[in-house]
Amino acid sequence: MFDLALATLLSPVVLFFVLGLLAGLAKSDITIPEAVSKGLAIYLMMAIGLKGGFEMAASGLTGTIIAVMLCGIVLSFALPAIAFFFLRTTTKLPSVDAAATAAHYGSISIVTFVAATQAVDLSGLPSGGYLVAVAALMETPAIVTALLLAGRSKKAAQQNAPAQQSAPTGLLREVALNASVVVLVGALIIGWVTGETGKAQVEGVFITPLQGVLCLFLLDMGLSAGRGLRNGWRMLQPATIGFGIYMPLVSAAFAALASFALRLPPGDAALFMTLAASASYIAVPAAMRLALPSAKPSIYLTLSLGVTFPFNLTVGIPIYILIAQYIAA
Amino acid sequence: MHQKKRLELIIERMALARARDILEDAGVTGYTVLSAMAGYGAGRRWRRSDLSTAEEMTVVIAICDDEKIERALKALHELLEAQIGVLNVSTVEVLRPDRF
Repeated sequence: MFDLALATLLSPVVLFFVLGLLAGLAKSDITIPEAVSKGLAIYLMMAIGLKGGFEMAASGLTGTIIAVMLCGIVLSFALPAIAFFFLRTTTKLPSVDAAATAAHYGSISIVTFVAATQAVDLSGLPSGGYLVAVAALMETPAIVTALLLAGRSKKAAQQNAPAQQSAPTGLLREVALNASVVVLVGALIIGWVTGETGKAQVEGVFITPLQGVLCLFLLDMGLSAGRGLRNGWRMLQPATIGFGIYMPLVSAAFAALASFALRLPPGDAALFMTLAASASYIAVPAAMRLALPSAKPSIYLTLSLGVTFPFNLTVGIPIYILIAQYIAA
Repeated sequence: MHQKKRLELIIERMALARARDILEDAGVTGYTVLSAMAGYGAGRRWRRSDLSTAEEMTVVIAICDDEKIERALKALHELLEAQIGVLNVSTVEVLRPDRF
């Protein structure tokens, strides 16, 4: 069991991420061209969406799948409230910063999910493609909770009054038409509709090379995380950094309970725990700049991308796989 | 040559749409948007991230009459109360005043 965890930790995907992280921290001049990086991101969304769609075409929509989707939505709504409580009681963050940060921990990181999918495959555990749909469903409810939490503070509401007048349409567009959501859900539907025939036509591009492309993408992610951490670590108190490490474990524990109650197979449980544990660094920061502009992006972006993402990728995913195997046994 | 005002607004990418609306509502006949590469502010260096538009900054340049600038300034000031940005206005000389 621990050998599998070690194999995950020492996979090329994780090692390339660590290389990028160290290079970013050491101020290396490695640069992935922006157009390549954005192209890779779209490729990954398409690949993981199609993979999920093809698997859903084979498995169909069952009661358990619908239950996991509902659990995912409930967790995305609830986790920011728990995160907000921890941030307010253990750190000195103002409520608006705590609310904006909490939103990131209810939403998900699709790259963490893709890396977990590869790790679960490497561990030889089968997993259901429907978790891609769960990922898409968990992306946005957290934002609503964060706005409610911030709204509770009168001071925060006053600070954000000018932005709230212009935010709703922009916020809705940003959340609903976010590139990752559109490509992911679109590819999932295309994969679901075309099934085995579609898979045979595109697997040479979207399935076989996924591991290699993920290495390149995670090298770039490591660079971003390392540079973000180097530039922003001064903004984070030790208690806030601690939150970035223990909150994923708290979230994963809730998902583990749900997985146990729903009797999910270990592969599905590990991915569901990863979704709950991951923190957004693409869609939610953009939404927070519109909805809670007085919250400091240097805090929530550094914490989500510089602390939680590396933690999940290197230590978190192997832990979630181990716990999933334990509860399934 | 003829004197006009040049407005330069550095603003975060997420607030760009609102800034464009303000300029267009004020009657500004044209502006140019540039993408900022990197910078320093609030004690922290930043660079254009490939990941999230939350860290992107843009530069909006507009040249027009005093009265249009005045109309835009109040709303831009309100916008900058909440969003990250820097605004400056300077006097410039243009060749074709009827264009602005």
